[in-house]
Amino acid sequence: MGLQISTRESGDVTIIDLRGRATLGDDSDLLIGHLNKLVATGVLKLLLNLADVTQLDSSGISAIVGTHVCLRRQAGSLKLLCPRGRVRAVLRLIRLPEIIPTFEDETEALASFRPRGFSAAS
Amino acid sequence: MTTPCGSVAASTTEKTALLVASGADIDELLTNVLASEGWSTQRVLDNQHILELARAKPFDLIITGRETRVAEDVELLRKIRSARPHIRLIILTDKFTPGDVISAMREGAFSYFSAPFEPSELAEMVRAAMAEPCWDDGIEVLSGTPEWVTLTARCDLATADRLVQFLHGVRDPSIPEAEKDQIILAFKEILLNAMEHGGHFDPSQHVEISFIRARRAIACRVKDPGKGFSLEELRHAAGSSPDDLFTHAKVRDEQGMRPGGFGILLAKKLVDELIYNEKGNEVVLVKYLPAPKSPTT
Repeated sequence: MGLQISTRESGDVTIIDLRGRATLGDDSDLLIGHLNKLVATGVLKLLLNLADVTQLDSSGISAIVGTHVCLRRQAGSLKLLCPRGRVRAVLRLIRLPEIIPTFEDETEALASFRPRGFSAAS
Repeated sequence: MTTPCGSVAASTTEKTALLVASGADIDELLTNVLASEGWSTQRVLDNQHILELARAKPFDLIITGRETRVAEDVELLRKIRSARPHIRLIILTDKFTPGDVISAMREGAFSYFSAPFEPSELAEMVRAAMAEPCWDDGIEVLSGTPEWVTLTARCDLATADRLVQFLHGVRDPSIPEAEKDQIILAFKEILLNAMEHGGHFDPSQHVEISFIRARRAIACRVKDPGKGFSLEELRHAAGSSPDDLFTHAKVRDEQGMRPGGFGILLAKKLVDELIYNEKGNEVVLVKYLPAPKSPTT
């Protein structure tokens, strides 16, 4: 399946749900364009949901790393959610989860964007 | 090399695929994928019916059934191509041998899926076959034995995807699936580098490839048509600085290049050896295989 992208929001975090292949060609061009557009509009907190990504190659990795670098420059952050199977294996191989925080649970991932000591009840 | 593609069925307004039954799930998947693009389907019982129909009129795509042996499918393809050289035929099979992939590529199959395969990947390949306005092979087997295959591949993404799927179709019980996946992914990264940087994705250019299967290792050699490069000078590739994932991102940004450059790094991590020639337009990947388990006494 070619890459499908949908976007939703939770508070000030933008969640991008990806489905299909994030590989060289139209798919990674689409992903890079989408991420660049979000960053250009001022989004600073991005959660990339990889649960339904079936393939990831160096081109998809580049889109992720490029966005991470760009957001860090602006004091923002990118985090990853639920990489599966071959996608998780590729990310671990280049030790990306050691640099870009990666979560298995969406609630936990969203909580990690809040400043430490912040309580929703306060 | 390949000949200019014809337009045997391209002139017809309604596209039609000829399918042999492959079980309810696969049949439904194929029908849905084809119908989503407005294609009609015609179902037949077996290869003999395919041959009769395909000789009588042109079809835009043929997908074989899983129950036939690959040797029969390849023979069918050879007969059809003698009359319709640009036919797109995808082989699905539950009955195969490790060498069948070579026969399928040599005879010009569009793609090849040996069980078990991912239905989503089959759907993707069918869409690729449907998307081609017209088609010629792009992959030419120059020589092939089960241990050593040499071929050329046209410098375009669709051909790279097809070649990678052929590799996934190789089912050799002596090659663990994990090792197979790793060498295929590494090969794909190096192949795309060769097609992009050496061949500039110019479909008139070809990459030369060899696969060698030794008892305890698999090697792939990829030669691109470019002038080569020096890894030391290639600061925009992450492979030149494997300990710093982000150094190259800054360099690429400064040079106005699109995000990228992780291919060599990824390939280096996936295989045991990655060796470039002096010119930098030829590379060999080597993956060592675990020792076979000793038979129990």
